[in-house]
Amino acid sequence: MTITTNLAPKNGEREFSQRPATSTQEAILTLAAGSALAGLGIWRRGWFGTTMGAAGGYLLYCGVRDFHRPYQGRVRVSYTISKDRQEVYDFASNPQNWPKFMHAIQVKNNGDGKFGFSVGEPAGIDFESNVEITDQQSGEHIAWASAEQMLEHRGVVRFKQAPGNRGTEVFVALEYKAPAGPIARALASLVGWGPEQVVRESLRHLKQLMEAGEIPTTKGQPSGARGIRGTAKRIIFREGPSEQAVEQTRMAGD
Amino acid sequence: MKALCWQGKTNVSVERVNDPSILNPRDAILRITRTAICGSDLHLYDGYIPTMEPGDVLGHEFMGQVIETGSEVKKVKKGDRVVVPFTISCGQCFYCKNQMWSACDNTNPNAWIMEKMYGYSGSALYGYSHMMGGYAGGQAQYARVPFADVGCLQIPEGIDDEKVLFLSDIFPTGYMAAKNCDLKGGEVVAIWGCGPVGQFTIRSAFMLGAERVIAIDRIPERLKMARAGGAEIINYEEVDNLLDELKWMTGGRGPDACIDAVGMEAHGVGIAAAYDYSKQRMKVAFDRPIVLRQMMQACRKGGVVSIPGVYGGFLDKIPFGAAFGKGLIFKMGQTHMHKYMQPLLQRVQNGEIDPSFVITHRLTLDEAPDAYKTFRDKQEQCIKVVLDPWREAA
Repeated sequence: MTITTNLAPKNGEREFSQRPATSTQEAILTLAAGSALAGLGIWRRGWFGTTMGAAGGYLLYCGVRDFHRPYQGRVRVSYTISKDRQEVYDFASNPQNWPKFMHAIQVKNNGDGKFGFSVGEPAGIDFESNVEITDQQSGEHIAWASAEQMLEHRGVVRFKQAPGNRGTEVFVALEYKAPAGPIARALASLVGWGPEQVVRESLRHLKQLMEAGEIPTTKGQPSGARGIRGTAKRIIFREGPSEQAVEQTRMAGD
Repeated sequence: MKALCWQGKTNVSVERVNDPSILNPRDAILRITRTAICGSDLHLYDGYIPTMEPGDVLGHEFMGQVIETGSEVKKVKKGDRVVVPFTISCGQCFYCKNQMWSACDNTNPNAWIMEKMYGYSGSALYGYSHMMGGYAGGQAQYARVPFADVGCLQIPEGIDDEKVLFLSDIFPTGYMAAKNCDLKGGEVVAIWGCGPVGQFTIRSAFMLGAERVIAIDRIPERLKMARAGGAEIINYEEVDNLLDELKWMTGGRGPDACIDAVGMEAHGVGIAAAYDYSKQRMKVAFDRPIVLRQMMQACRKGGVVSIPGVYGGFLDKIPFGAAFGKGLIFKMGQTHMHKYMQPLLQRVQNGEIDPSFVITHRLTLDEAPDAYKTFRDKQEQCIKVVLDPWREAA
């Protein structure tokens, strides 16, 4: 099933800007890192050198490409939630519930169908994006588009009755223009801020919250000394470097 | 509290860690009275399961007393004596509602890793790597039990811990392995591996109507225990050709069902075994599928191949032509624990089986690091180790 995001830019027929996504600094950094890696690879030779050379070549390619064309990405994620369509829609469309299940995003309600979404606050980097609900039909879909150029995105969430009384299929389709080059994108993915990860984990949390009543967690559980290796692995598995408990958002008693 | 922590390949140690606390409304905290070392813990010990982190608390077979419950826990009460299944299930999703408990959608906080590796994520497990959820395990003095109302099996007064402890994993696992063979009465079942799961599989196969059980291993005391359970035995190191032997013993038909209670670290003899060992050593494979190959060859036409043993990655040199040519049926996977615990508790209460027969070592938590080694190397006639986390070593 293909979902277009046509519904999203309905207000004023807005299209994505022509601004290149990568800042000049990052493009230069990418090109520099690419040439350094490629050079080192050629100098070292052997298996390891070949791998390094290939990685450097890829970075060079990305750097050159990003000078000309902004990085545009697409995300498609769907999960089935075993609850009635209207119930899922009502819960998911209520902005008060968003902080309970959205992954890595802080939501600010600016009123009048406009919201501030920010990513990366805990790390001191702040990508804020103003989001506007552009179309909405109860039990059917919600579409949104971002208002400014820094972090452009638009998308739609659709709700569909699943076959065999299995609840509701929820589809999220989204297009975005990343305000970052390949290095920053890779770093963002490493800590779980990649757009695909944000959407997938948010939708998963919505499912878990609606079906099981809580989002499973291990944050705050006991463990032995992790050491450097254990801590590094925690970051790779996106569990955060330490195990301090985060305040749980829970549905119970709501 | 004291807890057994994984530190790296063949390196586990007892450490002082924080006590667990309620993190979610459906959690409960258990004071653990008995816990056991499982054969599948040895895969972690040997470093064959990816995504382990140094400091992880191990153990997925445990029972104890509830000392604290979260705000949404209704059924389980403080003071209850409970056995906890090794799989964590939410009880609300499609899979839980359809009795496929180990496929639960909603309990793995690291589901994305499994989705990358296997396409979809199954339920989380205790103390069994971060792709399986990264939950702290039960080889400790206390444990946190998420979704306590769904998981905890309440144990009535008057039954020993040792009789019900194995409802946490190996008894239901052996039982499901036999159940998967769809026995109707009069079958011949061949079981590879006479470790703890194998022992329960032998007894379950008889319970479910098998007429003969052939048990295959190489460790004398395990074969002896299998024979005590009513099985005929084969020591595969002593026969020329295991497949010929099985054909001979079954009147040329082959076993009606074959059960792999061994999994990824099979030993075996000959060229095939050497091939798998070298691949595993070079880190191009996690698994040594020796048993799987033998079963596919040995099983009768249209028979069932049931696999409770754990496999992790990509297997190779699998005789799929034999499986297709004979129309074999494959059943496998993590045990749907919650489906079998209550009926099996009933069987224990009725006196049909006393699961404590399998225990050979009763130790303290401090002795656990040595016990891992003893169990892995099958020294001291070790078959099953049970730990009392509160007893001090003599």
